[in-house]
Amino acid sequence: MTTRTMGEPIPRREDPRLVAGDGRFLDDLGAGALAAAFVRSPHAAARVVDVDVSAALEVDGLVAIYTYEDLEGPVAEPLPLLIPHPRLHAPKTGYPLANGVVRHVGEPVAMVVARDRYVAEDACERIVVAYEPLAPVVGLDAAVAAERTVHDDVADNVAARMVQEHGDARAAVAAAPHRLALDLAIERSASTPLEGRGVYARWDAADRSLRVYSSTQTSTSVRFALAVKLGVPVDRVEVVAPDVGGGFGVKIMHPWPEEVLVPWAAIRLGREVKWAEDRREHFVASAHERGQRHHVEVGFDDDGRLLGLDVRFVHDNGAYTPYGIIVPIITATQLLGPYKPGAYRVEFRSLYTNTVIVTPYRGAGRPQGAFAMERTLDAIAGYLGIDRARVREANFIQPDEMPYDHHLIFQDGRPLIYDSGDYPATLDKVKKLVGWDEFEAFRAEARRDGRRVGIGVACYVEGTGVGPYEGAHVRVETDGSVVVATGLTTQGQGHQTVFAQVAAEALGVPVERVTVVTGDTRRFKYAVGTFASRAAVMSGNAVALAAGKVRAKALRIAAEALEADPDDLEVADGAVRVKGAPEREIDLGTVAVLANPLRYAFDEQARLATQFVVGRGVDAPPVAEDDEPGLEATDFYSPVRSTFANGAHAAVVETDPDTAEVRILRYCVVHDCGTLINPRIVEGQIHGGVAQGVGGALYERMVYDENGQLLNASFMDFLMPYASEVPKVEIDHLETPSPLNPLGVKGAGEAGTIPAAAALAAAISDAEGFFVDRMPLSPSELWALRERHARKEEG
Amino acid sequence: MRIAGNATLHAPVEAVYAALRDPRVLVRTIPGCERLEQLGEDAYAMTVTAGVASVRGTYAGDVRLTDQRAPHGFVLRASGSGAPGTVSADVTVELSPGSDGTTELSYDADAVVGGMIGGVGQRLLAGVAKRTAGEFFTAVDEVLAGAGAEEVVAEPGAPLTATGVAGAPARPDTGGAGPRVHTAPARPAAGIPGGEFAAGVVLGAAAALLGALVGGYLARRAARPRPRRSGRR
Repeated sequence: MTTRTMGEPIPRREDPRLVAGDGRFLDDLGAGALAAAFVRSPHAAARVVDVDVSAALEVDGLVAIYTYEDLEGPVAEPLPLLIPHPRLHAPKTGYPLANGVVRHVGEPVAMVVARDRYVAEDACERIVVAYEPLAPVVGLDAAVAAERTVHDDVADNVAARMVQEHGDARAAVAAAPHRLALDLAIERSASTPLEGRGVYARWDAADRSLRVYSSTQTSTSVRFALAVKLGVPVDRVEVVAPDVGGGFGVKIMHPWPEEVLVPWAAIRLGREVKWAEDRREHFVASAHERGQRHHVEVGFDDDGRLLGLDVRFVHDNGAYTPYGIIVPIITATQLLGPYKPGAYRVEFRSLYTNTVIVTPYRGAGRPQGAFAMERTLDAIAGYLGIDRARVREANFIQPDEMPYDHHLIFQDGRPLIYDSGDYPATLDKVKKLVGWDEFEAFRAEARRDGRRVGIGVACYVEGTGVGPYEGAHVRVETDGSVVVATGLTTQGQGHQTVFAQVAAEALGVPVERVTVVTGDTRRFKYAVGTFASRAAVMSGNAVALAAGKVRAKALRIAAEALEADPDDLEVADGAVRVKGAPEREIDLGTVAVLANPLRYAFDEQARLATQFVVGRGVDAPPVAEDDEPGLEATDFYSPVRSTFANGAHAAVVETDPDTAEVRILRYCVVHDCGTLINPRIVEGQIHGGVAQGVGGALYERMVYDENGQLLNASFMDFLMPYASEVPKVEIDHLETPSPLNPLGVKGAGEAGTIPAAAALAAAISDAEGFFVDRMPLSPSELWALRERHARKEEG
Repeated sequence: MRIAGNATLHAPVEAVYAALRDPRVLVRTIPGCERLEQLGEDAYAMTVTAGVASVRGTYAGDVRLTDQRAPHGFVLRASGSGAPGTVSADVTVELSPGSDGTTELSYDADAVVGGMIGGVGQRLLAGVAKRTAGEFFTAVDEVLAGAGAEEVVAEPGAPLTATGVAGAPARPDTGGAGPRVHTAPARPAAGIPGGEFAAGVVLGAAAALLGALVGGYLARRAARPRPRRSGRR
């Protein structure tokens, strides 16, 4: 009897290796490689006048120094615009090494290759770059005012302008019984994975082939990008993502300048070259996200039902737009959450600033959207004097209204149609979990003790499993083990476990027999990548489909061998057997031998297989026209559109009357991601997401001064929550399976992050009695808000 | 790759011109030069050990002097190859009188660098080339001033070899017999034998620049002591 694995919270199979220090991360590789280091701009905006390397020549162990003049051909062209869009009317990308001008602190100007990183940095220090500093554009205010420009030919600093609407929102707002206007601000933050970026390249001159290891979320795309940029045929390039210590979005951006230059140098020098960034480089030279400012105008009725919602926001995209406008598009569309907005109009402008680029960070624009919508609903509730949960209930899309078409276009270019979800039930569950209805009693009790407490709730919808596709290859080896390969990558999501569970269940083998490889273009070449909470949906279903094909073939072959009808067969514990007659069975490994009509018997398995007779006799070819040797199959899953997960968070906070510090007393999550492959891993994702959500709500911000200098480019000054700040997360589940894919799964990767700032802002507002309109909120900011509110009340 | 530069040499133009064409001078002033052998008129074969940063090796090459306009200038065409890569260069050298009996020298090299050494980056290559050229001209200047005279003798027909220290006892210049004899470092102007080298080709700056182009890193380190530059390290 096979033990079920789908839905089982089995321990992660990759953990013993990782926890015992047997991980192979990028910097563990390439022990003999030369090391690269970069001279980076110290100015936010400057012309590069000269690069003087003479002082570096004496450094013992120096091998090479490169500047833009050394680049030729495609490498000398600007880096690719990955996601063009008609509304992105002024896209810009940078060069791998600065071509006469730098536009943010950290932009690479020169690359040094040396015996090791120490020597490389010594050489970097001695290189003198002459800059002509220019006045930078820092912050959304400066970008909008456009007294100075980031790019000479973009006079208003606007890279993109986009409007999406359904119905006449402005008229609806104007005609509504009640109206409110809000201004909301979200600060820049960043993914900050534990492991930074890294690239290690090996050029085989005899073979003329290139292998690149990169700490990336998309090895298949990096492969295509490098083939083009370096002029190497695609089939001579392989990219492998080794163990990756976290991505959280920042590693989906590609190709980084370093990702292009390190292999380029390896080819030129005929040596292995490696680069692993340090923390400061990650802060100033990778990517940030979140910086937006929203203006919301909403019209509603006496019950708080939305009649019209008119949102305008500005988005800070940094100095270049290689990743296009995906993040603000997600904000614009996912802002709607689980609600019916009445008439909806959203307009955004994406603006250049002299800061590092902006690419997705867990949530990818959704946290900003959720913040805008949830604060608006709280404001409506406050205005009308209605319970905040009631206002949400009045606006929910009801389960019987599914599928619900918002008549907008989502980030995948497809219609924004929610397929499934029970939003009222979700809110109900979180209310029960946190004790929403009993809170006033708790508040009264706290007040008696001189304590200030508050409660908040926030709901969200998350479009997951975005296409265009993922694929998987499943093969049963002759020893009965199963090898699964899928093209997307892993940064700690437990893919080696969940995809093994899917394959084991589909094939009828114990999960211990299954090994999974991800992110290696040598093993699977067609893939998109790991982002947007898509891996379980996309690769999970692809693995299931491929394993299903393998199972069908196994049954066909076994039926011949056992002289039975395929419908009378079942697969359990790795063997095919006749139902009801378990002594008539054949191991899957043996079936794998039989699937390959090879003449040579290499091992005992092959020899044993000769006792079975399969094949279609001497008048037919051993391998039929529509068949292939081997017990393996490849299949792809490509969805018609994203599938929508949802959830609700509730938080209870305490604010200190004197110091304005915020303490989270309780944090409750109810989430619905459809079918769960491994509940333990889903909970892990929620825990991690909540930690990042708490960080975004209370701690994380990028502080640039007016000169574009990042003042907190280290963990000393960039605050992340410790275990002492992250609350114990109480979790409850709902499962409304997705109708869009065979497994019924929805993504769960970003769920913990999306509504956290909204929920915490709501709870703080509730504790303090005034409206919180920004994230993050530090104690000093809260204190200042208190003062301002007190003055307003007096005056 | 283009490299250009200047140097001031403390001797009249004619003396400088002659020195730059004198293999006895060159074999000991070219950074890293180990061997020099006359192949024919205006042509020399040379072996240089040189490097750019950590990319070091030995190069075998040849040099020809062409377009001579004594004593004002000439063009050197050089090429060499070795484990670290290949170099070929055309170098235009111009001499003009400076003040107080000095010579202003300018060189303009057009070089193609290939192989591994070609991969280290233009600024690094150019930086090393200019530095080594500067060292070469400084050394020539010292020779012109009469410093560091060593006398080494070789068999007629044998290639000249670099010396760093005292060699075999001196022997008069045989003259006329064919290739290469070491002589003592040239005394200013009058001491330069006119005869057999007058019409000959000399590596001159070509060889110097060959060595310069591939760097003189290792050779410079191994060679004579030189004054510490200020301001570094």
